[in-house]
Amino acid sequence: MTSELIYICAGSGLVGLAFYRLATCRDMLLRVLSLNVLAVGIAILFLASARNAGMTDAVPQAFILTGIVVLVAVTAALLALAEQIDSQRDE
Amino acid sequence: MSLAFDILLAFGVVFTAAAALGTHDRVASIAGFVVTGLLVALSLVRLGAPDVALAEAAIGAGLTGALLLRSAWRLKPAESRVSPAIDRIIVALIAVCLSGALAWAVYTAPGAALYPALVSERLAESGVTNPVTAVLLNFRAWDTLLEIAVLFVALILVRIVAPAHPQPVVLGELMLPFARIVVPMCAFLAGHLLWQGASVPGGAFQAGAILAGGLLVLMLGGFAVLTPRLLSWGMMVALLGLAVFAVAALSTEALTGTLLLYPDGAAKIWILMIEAVLTLSIAAMLCLLFCGMPRRPLNDV
Repeated sequence: MTSELIYICAGSGLVGLAFYRLATCRDMLLRVLSLNVLAVGIAILFLASARNAGMTDAVPQAFILTGIVVLVAVTAALLALAEQIDSQRDE
Repeated sequence: MSLAFDILLAFGVVFTAAAALGTHDRVASIAGFVVTGLLVALSLVRLGAPDVALAEAAIGAGLTGALLLRSAWRLKPAESRVSPAIDRIIVALIAVCLSGALAWAVYTAPGAALYPALVSERLAESGVTNPVTAVLLNFRAWDTLLEIAVLFVALILVRIVAPAHPQPVVLGELMLPFARIVVPMCAFLAGHLLWQGASVPGGAFQAGAILAGGLLVLMLGGFAVLTPRLLSWGMMVALLGLAVFAVAALSTEALTGTLLLYPDGAAKIWILMIEAVLTLSIAAMLCLLFCGMPRRPLNDV
């Protein structure tokens, strides 16, 4: 159980760091990056809580796998929108 | 011994993330993010989730890092207006409280594990022996179908917004020998991950991401130019995954009367067919999401 506790602390640490950066940063790229860190932190928390007697539950694993793939799609879409906003600002 | 490793690894994850988020140099930030992703993949292995670790290393660290680097050159940095100190202190306090509350809530949550028993009970019927693949492509295949739909919607959004696609610059002489080794390795590794995903960690998403990495080497090295013809083929392959999965869902409805309930004894072949098409389709989608799509002139429709 102690090793789960260590990873729970790491996961919540990542969430806190990403939240701080999201709230204090104006740069669009770094905000997207923070959002990714936030999602990674939540993934670690979720999987650490899915541990039971040395085994990891398969259903949360499948959820996180789905989440990672959706996150890369969201990142690409957000960056495309950010580039569009940037080019509109120029004109 | 393993406890010391866990502590060191967890510390490394938080430290690299703090370094990535703390610096104002964007490239350093992205490099820090990629290192964080790889360390997170290692800690996911320690948490007993090698399938997720593979996906995190290939997609979370690799492809997302490449996407961010691509945009770092295109997006102008925002004017560096530092928030007032009082704001930053308040936000930091809220962040610390949030972290603490999350850790406490997750640690003390009652661990009523409902799924492992259900999954292991029905695993023999699923057609595969890797429980994660069984959940993804059989028990909760509906989620995966919708996930592919989400990927395709993101691709359409990128197509509508249409950022300029990266112009490959002329690279050094070592690019060709590099590509000659890396591209076949990517194709080989993708096939291997796809096939072994039925019994041990691996599967369509990891295979697709690695194949996309190989395709990006071809694109960025200037070996393949994204002509309109190639682009429309890419879009077709991207759509194929969603189309085949949807047709499979409807045919299972017709054959067995339940959506995505595969016919008895044939589950393995259904899953393998769907996964093979998904691998190609995911590779095409991830590659096109990276390359973006040049806007066609209006009279070209």
